[in-house]
Amino acid sequence: MEVSVIGNPQTKKIYRAELTYRELGFRFGSQVISGDSRNRVSFLTHQSSKWKEIKIQSSPRSVRCEAIVSDQAPFLKPTPNSRSLESVKLFVGLPLDTISDCNNVNHLKAITAGLKALKLLGVEGIELPIFWGVVEKEAPGKYEWSGYLAVAEIVKKVGLKLHASLSFHGSKHPEISLPVWVAKIGEAEQGIYFTDRYGKQYKDCLSFAVDDVPVLDGKTPMEVYRGFCESFKSAFSDYLGNTITGITLGLGPDGELRYPSHQHETNLSGAGEFQCYDKHMLSALKHYAESTGNPLWGLGGPHDAPAYDQQPCSTSFFSDGGSWESQYGDFFLTWYSSLLTSHADRVLSVASSAFKGTGVSLCGKLPLLHQWNKLRSQPSELTAGFYSSGGHDRYEAIAEIFAKNSCRMIIPGMDLSDEHQSPASLSSPESLLAHIKTSCKRQGVVVSGQNSAASVLGGFERIVENLKDESVGVDLFTYQRMGAVFFSPEHFHAFTVFVRNMNQFELSSYDQAVEGDKAKTMSIGSGTTGAASLQTA
Amino acid sequence: MSTVPVEPLLHHSPLRRTSLNGARGFLPSSLNLRCHFTSKKLHSIGRSIASGNSLGYLSSERRRSVAIRASSSDTALVETTSQSDDVIFKETFPVQRIDKAEGKIYVRLKQVKENNWQLSVGCSLPGKWILHWGVSYVGDTGSEWDQPPEDMRPPGSVAIKDYAIETPLEKLSEGDSFHEVPINLNLESSVAALNFVLKDEETGAWYQHKGRDFKVPLLDDVPDDGNLIGSKKGFGAIGKLSNIVVKPDESGADVQEKGKSSSGSTKERKGLEEFYEEMPISKHVADDNSVSVTARKCPETSKNIVSIETDLPGDVTVHWGVCKNGSKKWELPAEPYPQETSLFKNKALRTRLQRKDNGDGSFGLFSLDGKLEGLCFVLKLNENTWLNNRGEDFYVPFLTSTSLPVEPEAAQLSEKTPKTNQEVSESGFTDEIITEIRNLAIDISSHKSQKSNVKEVQINILQEIEKLAAEAYSIFRSTTPTFTPESVLEAEVEEPEIKISSGTGSGFEILCQGFNWESHKSGRWYQELQEKADELASLGFTVLWLPPPTESVSPEGYMPKDLYNLNSRYGTVDELKETVRRFHKVGIKVLGDAVLNHRCAHFKNSNGVWNLFGGRLNWDDRAVVADDPHFQGRGNKSSGDNFHAAPNIDHSQDFVRKDIKEWLCWMRKEVGYDGWRLDFVRGFWGGYVKDYMDASKPYFAVGEYWDSLSYTYGEMDYNQDAHRQRIVDWINATSGAAGAFDVTTKGILHTALQKCEYWRLSDPQGKPPGVVGWWPSRAVTFIENHDTGSTQGHWRFPGGKEMQGYAYILTHPGTPAVFFDHVYSDYRSEIASLLSLRNRQKLHCRSEVNIVKSERDVYAAIIDEKVAMKIGPGHYEPPSGSQNWSVAVEGRDYKVWETS
Repeated sequence: MEVSVIGNPQTKKIYRAELTYRELGFRFGSQVISGDSRNRVSFLTHQSSKWKEIKIQSSPRSVRCEAIVSDQAPFLKPTPNSRSLESVKLFVGLPLDTISDCNNVNHLKAITAGLKALKLLGVEGIELPIFWGVVEKEAPGKYEWSGYLAVAEIVKKVGLKLHASLSFHGSKHPEISLPVWVAKIGEAEQGIYFTDRYGKQYKDCLSFAVDDVPVLDGKTPMEVYRGFCESFKSAFSDYLGNTITGITLGLGPDGELRYPSHQHETNLSGAGEFQCYDKHMLSALKHYAESTGNPLWGLGGPHDAPAYDQQPCSTSFFSDGGSWESQYGDFFLTWYSSLLTSHADRVLSVASSAFKGTGVSLCGKLPLLHQWNKLRSQPSELTAGFYSSGGHDRYEAIAEIFAKNSCRMIIPGMDLSDEHQSPASLSSPESLLAHIKTSCKRQGVVVSGQNSAASVLGGFERIVENLKDESVGVDLFTYQRMGAVFFSPEHFHAFTVFVRNMNQFELSSYDQAVEGDKAKTMSIGSGTTGAASLQTA
Repeated sequence: MSTVPVEPLLHHSPLRRTSLNGARGFLPSSLNLRCHFTSKKLHSIGRSIASGNSLGYLSSERRRSVAIRASSSDTALVETTSQSDDVIFKETFPVQRIDKAEGKIYVRLKQVKENNWQLSVGCSLPGKWILHWGVSYVGDTGSEWDQPPEDMRPPGSVAIKDYAIETPLEKLSEGDSFHEVPINLNLESSVAALNFVLKDEETGAWYQHKGRDFKVPLLDDVPDDGNLIGSKKGFGAIGKLSNIVVKPDESGADVQEKGKSSSGSTKERKGLEEFYEEMPISKHVADDNSVSVTARKCPETSKNIVSIETDLPGDVTVHWGVCKNGSKKWELPAEPYPQETSLFKNKALRTRLQRKDNGDGSFGLFSLDGKLEGLCFVLKLNENTWLNNRGEDFYVPFLTSTSLPVEPEAAQLSEKTPKTNQEVSESGFTDEIITEIRNLAIDISSHKSQKSNVKEVQINILQEIEKLAAEAYSIFRSTTPTFTPESVLEAEVEEPEIKISSGTGSGFEILCQGFNWESHKSGRWYQELQEKADELASLGFTVLWLPPPTESVSPEGYMPKDLYNLNSRYGTVDELKETVRRFHKVGIKVLGDAVLNHRCAHFKNSNGVWNLFGGRLNWDDRAVVADDPHFQGRGNKSSGDNFHAAPNIDHSQDFVRKDIKEWLCWMRKEVGYDGWRLDFVRGFWGGYVKDYMDASKPYFAVGEYWDSLSYTYGEMDYNQDAHRQRIVDWINATSGAAGAFDVTTKGILHTALQKCEYWRLSDPQGKPPGVVGWWPSRAVTFIENHDTGSTQGHWRFPGGKEMQGYAYILTHPGTPAVFFDHVYSDYRSEIASLLSLRNRQKLHCRSEVNIVKSERDVYAAIIDEKVAMKIGPGHYEPPSGSQNWSVAVEGRDYKVWETS
């Protein structure tokens, strides 16, 4: 067993003696906050009028001791089950409109300065949203990567890692649409977009039902996505595996695996509506109904689902004992959610075969549909396509798909806390997050975190809690998103404190980088006895 | 790339200030021999420039350590003759390159004959060396000096006060740079030790030993403070010195006695031994070189051929660009480029000059398109060393076909905003910042530095982060407003403007704030002021700041309503005009107080909220920013902070800006204002101010950007760079079209004077710590105004210390502003003397300040080498040297001298 003490020389001196003492019993003349099954001990000591938090974290192989001096870390209170934040890699998202649709880098100077600032701050990397509608804008198979390549080069020069998000969706703010040629096809041929029961199309994402239908100039969307991925791979081959360490596949609206159940409504008072009314969806439903022996159920979606602006329980579908729990409900929701699952499977397999051997990790993002999740029906999840028959775990099947494709799952909303939700929305982001994390853990899926991009920046307190959560170790967190607000003095300061709390030693760790200074690593014994003694403390 | 002319001779290490405990370990070692000196005891401020990567020289400071000075003097050889028609420009610029010369100081004690010992102090470097020395007698305690006995004083010695004498070192032989002075010791006297420091009259630098006086013990029991020389104990000091951080690769880094060759012959006098010790020193020696530039017009090709020739040794790179279309912006010429040319960041070209065959300097030829208007360049000697022309780029104007002789003087001295250089240099060095910080960190870690340093580095890194974030913020934000295409804005941010800046006056301005918080009460302030016009003019003021003139909801005028109604509590519009006329007559320019951030509404909207305006500018709620819920504006979000008492104007609206510009122009014309004092400019983006200044073309403009300084646990931080950076950022955003009140300086003066912490008045670079230290020509220094003082007293200057404040701002660079209340107070005559001194000595906003002392209880500086000043209870006298100082003004805890 090895104990390494990382820190600057002075703190080291202080604690070395204590550490030796600690081996005997980890009594510090003050309280022992926790010592749990994963061999982590945190304790506080009051010394020379400054609070210093010391954590000892150990695993059978190694014991690490960090002396963390927190001068001003208002929210870094040791909590039970807390784990070290040092292992969490922090990424920051670039603006969605980093590259204009003419392939120029917007705010180049600001981004360059910003990246340098982040690098100095100790941020690990940058997330870059890459839009289908920018790269393959004019014609199928005609890719223009220059703008994004320029950004990759900047990121590389600054010495940051890059996480590319391949986005097969469009965006309203800022306005980025699907490729022009795709939009043209959409005009000409009805039914490639998600459509609600009023016939309104969601033009920022193709319907899951056309995944394998050759609607795009004789090609299926999946084939087009594959081409996109291959082109990306060859264009960025110099960066893959070194600068680019991760790729996120866009799985649906806003990149999230879901139906656009709210379309573009900004008012989320309702639970959203089912988006199963495009031509291909309806025909698939019909087919499915016939195959299960209920042809009448295949004529359309649920008739008693509430409208966008209606309360979920104002009609009978989502009420307790309502249609969703009926046989019909089970039939419909099973079908509706199976399309979502199979879409995820298709995209992720395309990507995993395309990027096999490049050394990058693949990710897919889920939504955090916490609105109304205190209702038994959890209607927001249902309209978005998350359902499991018989009250089983609605995320299990999805997590399985992720596991199968060795894909990480990005869960957003890590900044949301229950107390900030309006009671009327019956929402609990915290419990939903915990739930999804558990599903992932069960399937062995690695979880990455994000904040809820849509909401205001901040929420660091909650993020830290989430990242420290023992039960599922989040090892990568992407903070969304860079921009004017991000760098505003009010926000940036808070962000700085947040990062510094995560990377206590990032700034001084140059000591380690350049040294061969033996004095800094200290070994006490080896074997399991050391670990045992720590464990018993 | 920096072209800052530098004066780093007297640096103050930040470590000294910030980490008292840690400082010892970080005293730069190799030439810790320099110090200012005036009082009886030398204060050990010695520190080294050589340790360029010691902590003090992080990033931005780095360029200040460039030891080079370029100047073009009046003697510059200018020829624009017609004798050779094709020569269109010819000039030789003298440049001064400062070299570091290394040498040694040695001390030798030898026995000439029995009972006759001689101590020699010598130095191997050229210079005008003076030994400044005294003795300690047996039984003396403490470190005070005494005059040596008469018979010990070598001929030519001069007594300094009652504790020291100065003896010049003589050249050992002609043609040799060794200087030495021998002192015959009188061993019958009770002299216990000899103390000295070495002074170089040429540079005014003082050389000490390990931060203290040199001390040669003549008795065994002289207390050892680590500065003994030649004693046994002195040798033992080696161990003691080992905690000095030594940069391993530095040659001669050891302060420790090197060539110790003591004879070891023990004689009388309680074990007095012969010895010989040397200590390395270095000194900056100016080398004069020149750069000759000749431009010829080649009639055949209609190209301009520029030849640049210099006798500077080593590789010289010309960093250049061309000017076209009447602007002095650096632009890239069309290809082809000369040999050995590389492109630098798409902004400039770098051409290495060819070495001359005789190895004596280098030259280069540049063939440029005939249509270009000029060539700008600076010279680069190495990574850190740049040469420019008195702080400006070298500029070679090409004549157009009219072939009129240019006035080269004007061309080359024409006003450029300092921003130019700054900006250019900025981009050059921020790119390297990361590597640099890393190097620094490596450097530090190899020193096994103490915690305080890591912390220091972290703080520095954090500051750099903040700076970068601020930059990112300003661009992200400035590209958000929709009124101008992004590219235009980007260009504005990127291209430093090079133009004759309006809005900053002649540089010799002295402001008077012509009102206080009560002035509205009489109802006839304008008339009262008129009566004072002659008086204010004779006091020496050149600019008068009048109160806000518009109709206002509050009587003081800062809650304007109808901007076109200039009848206020101060008087009628006609009285205002008459006042302006009156002051113009006595030669005083007049500033109007323009409140542009907010405006009180005339009417309520349908919700009962006051946000609809009347009068000639009958704006609706689109003119009100959207992010103040009190006023339900329909405009965009504010581009700055909000002032909550009235609707904040949305300057991003075209119609608003158009109206404001029109209004300002109207005020210029109708009232006759010469310029503006801009109220609460924190409330909106500086870029809009630029827009307004460009439209109204003021002679002088100053903005009130007032926010809080930085404090830690109630104590003001020494480093207020972030604070002044915000002000400078604002000035930058206005493209330098307006100056700003130097709130930083006021704040630092508060603490320095109140708590007797005068050391605060020098920043780590040895410059003034306020805005005036960074951008003096845009800093308007003041100690009080109607808000901070008067009957409001929001942030009053420490009582009784006002004159120290004025002694500071009225002698220093920047444009000083004197508050009305102080003019008409007991201080009047003292202020009058300072004003007349400033005018008499022609101190101006860009005057050069050389801080010679900044200690606990005294701060002293010499300005433009003709005015010396000190504030604080401590002692200071200007150096007695070639200059003759006479006291000009004197008062409680301050004193100002001038050369006669």
